[in-house]
Amino acid sequence: MSAVDRLNVSDRERSEPRSSREWLGGRASGVLLIVALLSLWELSSRLGWVVSAYWPPVSQILAAAFAQLMGGEILLSLAATMRRAAIGYAAASAAGIVLGIVLARSRLLRCGLLPLIEIVRPMPTPAIIPPLILFLGVDDALKIFIVALASFFPIFTTTYAGVAAVDDTLIQTARTFRTSWARTLYAVVLPAVVPAIAAGLRTATGLCIVVAVLSEMIAGSSGIGYYLIETQYAMRPDLMYAAVLYLALTGYALNRVFLAIEMRAIPWMGKS
Amino acid sequence: MRRSLLSIGLAMIWLLAVPVSRTQAADLEKIRVSIIPIGDVAPLFAAIQNGYFRELGLEIDTTPSAGGAAGIPGLVGGSFDIAYGNVVSALLAAQQGLDVKVIAAGTNVTDPKLDATGIFVKSDGGIKSGKDLEGKSIGVNTRNNVIWLYARAWVKATGGDPERVTFKEVPFPQMEDALRQQRVDAAFMVPPFSAVAEQKGGLSKVGSPYSDIQPGVDVGQYITTGKVLAAKPEAVRKFVTGLRKGVEWYNANLTNEALLTLISGYTKADVALLKLVPVPTAPLRTDVSQVRKTMDMMIDSKLLPAPLDLDKIIDSQAL
Repeated sequence: MSAVDRLNVSDRERSEPRSSREWLGGRASGVLLIVALLSLWELSSRLGWVVSAYWPPVSQILAAAFAQLMGGEILLSLAATMRRAAIGYAAASAAGIVLGIVLARSRLLRCGLLPLIEIVRPMPTPAIIPPLILFLGVDDALKIFIVALASFFPIFTTTYAGVAAVDDTLIQTARTFRTSWARTLYAVVLPAVVPAIAAGLRTATGLCIVVAVLSEMIAGSSGIGYYLIETQYAMRPDLMYAAVLYLALTGYALNRVFLAIEMRAIPWMGKS
Repeated sequence: MRRSLLSIGLAMIWLLAVPVSRTQAADLEKIRVSIIPIGDVAPLFAAIQNGYFRELGLEIDTTPSAGGAAGIPGLVGGSFDIAYGNVVSALLAAQQGLDVKVIAAGTNVTDPKLDATGIFVKSDGGIKSGKDLEGKSIGVNTRNNVIWLYARAWVKATGGDPERVTFKEVPFPQMEDALRQQRVDAAFMVPPFSAVAEQKGGLSKVGSPYSDIQPGVDVGQYITTGKVLAAKPEAVRKFVTGLRKGVEWYNANLTNEALLTLISGYTKADVALLKLVPVPTAPLRTDVSQVRKTMDMMIDSKLLPAPLDLDKIIDSQAL
């Protein structure tokens, strides 16, 4: 138990300075850099340094973003994308965590499943979309499957590695106390592995949105991915970049939410 | 802490705010059509908007696919009943043993004056013909497709060897930028991009592959599969009937503002932009002799090893 507690303390120590003044100072300079880059963009378009139908000034993009918000259409597109991303993500999380733990603990399943997982893992998602259309169609089944597939690997890999890396002393100690297999898993392995799982889950949050957008670019009539293609072909780059902006904001917000949950949930998990 | 809980709550509400599912009339048979959101499918949208399909008892559900990439795989996989696609994709699918059937004409290029597609170059680059492009590059949206095929034919017809020209894949919206920044030496551009690029100056059109090489070429068709044709012969027949009425309305309203509003509605393009682009007439019937010419060109460019039986691919309804 003391080892678990130590693990938690060190984790809390790691996350504490992030929210302190020091971190705020870092954020301010980060914002400054973004503002500088956007100003450069604005100038390059206004002063004609870059001449292209696809390089509108930032101010025009912000105006388009505002108009989109008033129209409400962008929120429907974003909701459609987020729904697909969320379902795929949930399925991937369940499968990734369960398989990660089970495979790391069971030699038989590891020998049976790991080669398959390792072969599928390096396949780039866009490359397998055309054959998947034949089996899953072009609707939600396809898109959610692709999201789930792409999100599965980071979650599985970190969980698997996390379980494999659990300090053997912890398990031996549990065994000394004749703790049952299930209780060892629940009270020793899981708390020690949670930081690893959380890292995988966080990687997958960004990924699931990217892949959901990508899948919508291939086919379909809803979601941000389709909207991006549509506005590109309609020669409305202001609307296109505005949609990208909303996507970026969503990704940023999700990451913040995730960090907030992480900070609260992980110390609590360790104490049980 | 409370703020983070609030943001989680907001995120949950947002996720649940799924668009309300559409209600559909029970007595209408639903036909799913894969389309490319461009001017070519305007007759289909005219027929939908004017209620021609509804009168026949059909409800048309259109699914856009950029460049039609998902069209034929989706058709074969059963996601669509009908797909709008180009002639080369249809013949390639048939060559691969897929049971595709052309059921209606979609787009053809008959009047060179209304052909807004073309090979564009930088005006000061000194390139005039396919001969000048040897050792240089041409931007096409996809290799081994209809654009690529006619770009090659144009190079050959203007004295060049297509084998000595590099064809680079550039998406249509980025074609103008690629040409201006000299990432490619020539670009096969299509409307509305070609019209916008031409207006800005600095670029010249040196050829119109479709109308120069094969006046009257049948570029696009509506395609289904033998399976759908056997399972729903009535629905397909009604689709073709409704579409023809749409083509007639479209051809009678080429200069009508209502047509541009219609196209703007499903492409999201501004009417002002659409006004720059000439509106060509749409065909009522597929011209087999034109499809045969395209097929011969595909054999010439080694896209097809041997001629296909066009009578099997083109259904009699399309004629």
